[in-house]
Amino acid sequence: MAVADYKRYLAENVLNERRTVTFRSLSRALRVHSTLAKQMLYDFHRTENSKRPQSVNATYIVSGVQKEPEPATNGHTNGEDRNGDVFPSSPYLSSSMPNQDFASDTVTTASVVLVREEDLEDAKSTFESILSIYIYSLQQTLLQDLNVLTDVSRELVSNHSQEDPLEYGKQWGMIQNRNVKRRTITRPPVPAPARTTTATTATSKPTIPSKRPSEASSQTKPEPKKEEGTGSEQPSTRESTPSTTSKPTEKSAPMKREKSNLFSSFAKAKPKQKKEESATPAESAEPSGAEDVFLDDASDEEPEELFPDSGKAASSADASRESRKEREEKLKKMMEDDAEDEEMPDAAEPPEESNPIDQPPPKQPEPQEEVTVQGGRRRGRRRVMKKKTRKDDEGYLVTVEEATWESFSEDEPAPPLKKKPVASAPKGKSAGKSGQGNIMSFFSKK
Amino acid sequence: MATGSAENPFLRPPSDEELAPVYRAPSSYNPLHTFQLPSGQDRHYQQQYGDMYFLRLAKLKPAVEEIAVETWEGFSIAGEHARRVERVLDVRQGELCWVAGTIYMDMPLKPNILDDLTKENFTLAPPPRPTYLDPTQPELTQIMLEDESGRLRLTGTMLRSTQLATGAIVAVLGTENSNGDFEVIDVKVPDLARQPRRWERDEAPSPRKGTGNGKIAFVSGLGITGTSSDTLSLELLADYLLGYTGSPSSNNDGNGPSDASAITRLVIAGNSLGASMTVDPNENAAASKKKNGPKKYGYDASAYNASPITQFDNFLAEILPSIPVTLMAGASDPANFSLPQQGIHRAMFPRARAYCSGPPAAGETPEPGWFDSVTNPWEGDVEGWRLWGCSGQNVDDVLRYLDFANSHGLVEADGDGEARIKIMEAMLRWRCGVPTAPDTIWSYPFQTHDPFVMQACPHIFFAGNQPQFQTAVIEGDAPLKLNGADTEMTGTDDSTSTPRVRLLSIPTFKDTGELVLVDIETLEVEVIKFGTYAGQEEQQ
Repeated sequence: MAVADYKRYLAENVLNERRTVTFRSLSRALRVHSTLAKQMLYDFHRTENSKRPQSVNATYIVSGVQKEPEPATNGHTNGEDRNGDVFPSSPYLSSSMPNQDFASDTVTTASVVLVREEDLEDAKSTFESILSIYIYSLQQTLLQDLNVLTDVSRELVSNHSQEDPLEYGKQWGMIQNRNVKRRTITRPPVPAPARTTTATTATSKPTIPSKRPSEASSQTKPEPKKEEGTGSEQPSTRESTPSTTSKPTEKSAPMKREKSNLFSSFAKAKPKQKKEESATPAESAEPSGAEDVFLDDASDEEPEELFPDSGKAASSADASRESRKEREEKLKKMMEDDAEDEEMPDAAEPPEESNPIDQPPPKQPEPQEEVTVQGGRRRGRRRVMKKKTRKDDEGYLVTVEEATWESFSEDEPAPPLKKKPVASAPKGKSAGKSGQGNIMSFFSKK
Repeated sequence: MATGSAENPFLRPPSDEELAPVYRAPSSYNPLHTFQLPSGQDRHYQQQYGDMYFLRLAKLKPAVEEIAVETWEGFSIAGEHARRVERVLDVRQGELCWVAGTIYMDMPLKPNILDDLTKENFTLAPPPRPTYLDPTQPELTQIMLEDESGRLRLTGTMLRSTQLATGAIVAVLGTENSNGDFEVIDVKVPDLARQPRRWERDEAPSPRKGTGNGKIAFVSGLGITGTSSDTLSLELLADYLLGYTGSPSSNNDGNGPSDASAITRLVIAGNSLGASMTVDPNENAAASKKKNGPKKYGYDASAYNASPITQFDNFLAEILPSIPVTLMAGASDPANFSLPQQGIHRAMFPRARAYCSGPPAAGETPEPGWFDSVTNPWEGDVEGWRLWGCSGQNVDDVLRYLDFANSHGLVEADGDGEARIKIMEAMLRWRCGVPTAPDTIWSYPFQTHDPFVMQACPHIFFAGNQPQFQTAVIEGDAPLKLNGADTEMTGTDDSTSTPRVRLLSIPTFKDTGELVLVDIETLEVEVIKFGTYAGQEEQQ
């Protein structure tokens, strides 16, 4: 068992990394029973504070029966209390029903209360009887806002989403259900751990990896069923074998088929771009976050791709914090991009590859039209939206936007398009932006 | 408080003892599809609503007349016998008689489609009002009795003490006075319908081997908005349901929350999502102007906030491996707005939907899923008991018809909870779960049947999203039952026991943090409250 190492784990996370560890995150990380995790927290809390008082702060869960609070807030008035004054008497009830007794059974109200360490005694005194007390979380400083704790469990969800609760639930001490029915056709798509809390993993310890999720090495997946190989492949190998990108396990294959047509076009164009991305070692946390969101939308088989990125993302513990905001912003951008169904012809691909250090833009417009460049002239066919107005059967005027193909021939793309890849080394986003601008001007011309 | 740390299983150093897995008792579940609307092409909205009233009257008139005959047969005042009148238009002035019909209440503040049309307000739904009464002009409230022939205005002191709402079917005894109004002496309602025996639709399982009784858990109004502030109690709730809170070893002696492994099913009664998921259009317009962004047509992905539903999906996916869930739609959920609301589509739950039953093959009723997204209102059998519940719109709306301000001065005061239980009882006795649909609750225009009429009296009748927890037990009228009063749905076995109904007004979890547990053997209720202790830090 990994029991022996819990002190190390807690010391690193609580004391060094200043993270909040709840019994559930501990239980998941070490794969131990939740009861055991609670005991570990208690033990750690006691020993650390005996060494250095106030070094670790705890929150407790107290459950039991609370004393009746003041009547004003008492939600449970029994029938007798008020029967008289609110409804003096409702005659139709009494006439139709002589034995009108509002059975005024006393309803027991148990409470489960989350308490800060400082308030523990106060809180205890509000209880009539206490069934259990345990430590919910440990952190280094007093939690001003207990809601911070929800972040921990959110991370938990994203970190351990790969672990099938039906399989591991017993380990965690979850109540088991023998009758659970789950469809096998669809596997719940795995939200990839975006801002992976790899801070836990940065502390890779050789002693316990057998028990711990092997994320420690930052590229592997906890799920033993899945092939472990791909994640650990070097970016270079991946580049040479683009087929790895679409190496979904057989389970995710049906998911792919489910995808809507809209996305399938993205998915097809994806591998190439992905390749470039994984070849950029300077990947920072934020693009990976944004990327991740996009992938969630578009395709399900790619989360594996993100592991290398997220590993690097862990370089700073608070990167994840700020990345969330940025992620939101990115998401918005992303959505906007998605909404555009008109793709710009894109000549930027080759230069992109030439400087791999460049950040990949959130989304590259995919070339869907055939364009040939010949002697300074580009010609080909492209799709344009045309407005058509006509009268329908009932005599109304109907304006429809229709996609039509038109052939064109023009000079080489304007300078901005060409320069873009060179100039935009620091911020790759500009590529997307300029593309957007073009589209806008396209619309505004009408 | 006596619990010392020595005997506390959690406040001690880790031990090596092997912790045996805890197993949850199986759940017996057999939903009814009373409120399932035809899908796709077969769902029409062109029909007139009038049919619903006729259907309801046709269904309930025999029942209420039966009771009226029972009580008023031979009733006489000053030598004049009460005569039964078939239609409301046949009532003659000055004659003691009784007649059955549908209540219609005309109230000053009630939304009126004709008014809206004349004022050319077609577009916006009227804002919800706390009450339809106008306390300054009580005389504007008129109560009428109508049937297919016409309407009769009711009057008399009796009405003041009787709670009625549009759509209830009643029989009234009285005379028509010189104004043409009907002076009411007494009112009768259909009273409880036949109550099925426990396990009537299912085979009773062999007695449980496990110790202790099972529980059904009810919660409503999770109100997930996607911000971090509302999820802490939700975490605690999930912890509890998954068994992380209680100590499995310690036996519950009634002093704390029941062992969560006894809970066999969770029923979520609506309003699982809090904030509306789309941004207010006005607000949005302003924002987009400021943003100066590209103009979008149709679905705007940036205006859609998926966070609430994602959170909710995560919550469900977390608890589903351990506990089966019945999810009812509610007013703020992404389902259709008019009752009966159809279940939230499983596509909204990318993670939890693995536990749904598969899409039904054509023409057959699907087997209920482990995660069952059901209609609102909803009816079904859980552990053999018949449950009938709504996400609260029915109670909220009837409350607007009734005048509780008189008795204690404040309209929405604390005593309002008691009123809600009374309303729920009244609805059972009216045999109509949503009496005010289609008048003031939006409703599907049913043509062939009125599903809101209760064919059978449930054992547990619940309404979600109420301001506070309330419970009561009501009983049917034993003597009347034995006389065979209830011919409408007489079965062979209904005289054997008087119906007993457990009423539950389930509080909004977001505000109260309360989970309601009902014992599946005794139907006893207990409440578990989740929350944080506001310590000195916060009180300052």
